[in-house]
Amino acid sequence: MTAMTRTWGRMTLAGKVLFTVVPILLVLTLGLIVLVVVAGKPIVDFLAANLWLVRFVVAATAVLLVSVPFAFLIMYMEMKIIALMNLRIGPDRVGPYGSLLSVVHGLKVLMKEDFSPTGADRLVFTLAPIAVFMATIMGMLVLPFAPGLFGADMEIGLLYFFGVTGLSVVGLLMAGWSSFNKYSLLGGLRSAAQVISYEIPLTLSVVGLLLLAGTMSLNTIVLNQAGWFTDWYVFQQPLGALIFFIAATAEANRTPFDLTEADSEIVAGFATEYSGMRFGFFFFAEYVNVFVVSGLIVTLFFGGWNAPFAWPEAWAVHLTIDPGSLGIGLLFALLIVPPVLILALAAPFFLLRSSMPWWQALIIGFVLFNLLIGAAVTGLAYVSWPWVAGLAWFLMKSYAFVFLFVWMRGTLPRVRIDQLMGFAWKWLLPAALLNLFVTAAALVVVHPK
Amino acid sequence: MTNIWYIVGFMVAGVSFVFLTIGAAWLISHRNRGDVHKGLPYESGIDTYGDTHGRFGLSFYIYALLFVAFDIEVIFIYLWAIIFRAAGVDIGSLFVSMLVFVGILLLGLAYAWRKGVLTWR
Repeated sequence: MTAMTRTWGRMTLAGKVLFTVVPILLVLTLGLIVLVVVAGKPIVDFLAANLWLVRFVVAATAVLLVSVPFAFLIMYMEMKIIALMNLRIGPDRVGPYGSLLSVVHGLKVLMKEDFSPTGADRLVFTLAPIAVFMATIMGMLVLPFAPGLFGADMEIGLLYFFGVTGLSVVGLLMAGWSSFNKYSLLGGLRSAAQVISYEIPLTLSVVGLLLLAGTMSLNTIVLNQAGWFTDWYVFQQPLGALIFFIAATAEANRTPFDLTEADSEIVAGFATEYSGMRFGFFFFAEYVNVFVVSGLIVTLFFGGWNAPFAWPEAWAVHLTIDPGSLGIGLLFALLIVPPVLILALAAPFFLLRSSMPWWQALIIGFVLFNLLIGAAVTGLAYVSWPWVAGLAWFLMKSYAFVFLFVWMRGTLPRVRIDQLMGFAWKWLLPAALLNLFVTAAALVVVHPK
Repeated sequence: MTNIWYIVGFMVAGVSFVFLTIGAAWLISHRNRGDVHKGLPYESGIDTYGDTHGRFGLSFYIYALLFVAFDIEVIFIYLWAIIFRAAGVDIGSLFVSMLVFVGILLLGLAYAWRKGVLTWR
């Protein structure tokens, strides 16, 4: 036994990874082969009869895995944009413009020692980051990314979202209590006070929108906003959108409301005693939360995956490309068109810049050709598949709001805790109720029955 | 009915994702016991003074009570908002009834406000 542990301790990191991953993969692959050989037909029949199961597995895997690059991108945005706002250079070593630094950060956190302090309540200490992460990621299940591209379309989508994301306060309290640290306890209690206070204006600010939409299903809310950008609910609910944005900032624990991890007051709040991957999950959850909150703002008030313009149906491009109709000509086209295009693109550079050697001009031509092809393929995908267009618009709008959150972090100072609580109860709550009744009164006047 | 299993299944998938990641990190990270100082709570580098789970000023428990009242109210308001434009409902009486309902809750909020509960001390 001791010999085994000693060998394990001497192995390098790559060796450890290989030593664990390769046998697991081997066993899984062998098991899969045996399963398919022994019971292939019934399994396929069963899956064909229960397509929702296949859809669920795909959706759950996609939502869980897609949250990782989303969070990495937000981390990078936060590092780089705040650096540029502070007139610093920011990350510039790993990858182009330092864009892979967040990935490296993630790997570093994965390899760090995961330590729990002596006085800590081990079980609660371990479960707390899971509770926080689950509360966030389960909100992502109902976000409509594009037409047909969502985890689940629920009748009670919005209520489910608020119910699930509100549970993050339990995880924060668990972390604060179990750490056996006064800073953690203070951070956890602060976060409890803050999150439950802002939960009320957050949920009340969308009631005006629910009055207009008449449904809580996020998909239907997005479909209601189809058309030009003037059909977005933000123009009918400006006050509601503003209250929602402020309350969502507080719910996501972002500056200026990041009292729970105010590093100049209580070190790192509830996360003070955490290290390694459990610490990593708190921050993973925070960045996913920023994306989810931005996505929800876009879905509710800014048209979701709808494009901001709606051209008349007659202008729509209907491309039907059938490569087979070219026959043998297709082969010639594929062989001849690229070199000719590359030469044509390279020629102006070679002819106009006499100092440029021919191979440099060729490289420029090749790069331009690839850009052209990429743009053509992207445009083709955009007009051919509605979900590509929808996803593109949704991500663009969501990351615009992520940028807004980062921008606020770069500019605004932190508020005091008494200002924070007073603002929620004395300003946002009455304003949200006012918004509710003004909308309802307007509906009574406009649509009397 | 599929939806509830969606949620439960997604929860299971998410928790197993977290456990797998933490487990992988546990496998590839280094560990050592350290001495007694390693397990001390970090309180700005000073030894812990007093009891961490001792007496503690909770100045916001009234907020929690208000939160419960308003959060329950939110569920009713949501259902009310959904049927507001439905056919066959008298829209005027709906409006007045919600005005009365929220008015009663606002009375409670005004009372709390007057008592100075909403000011953090």
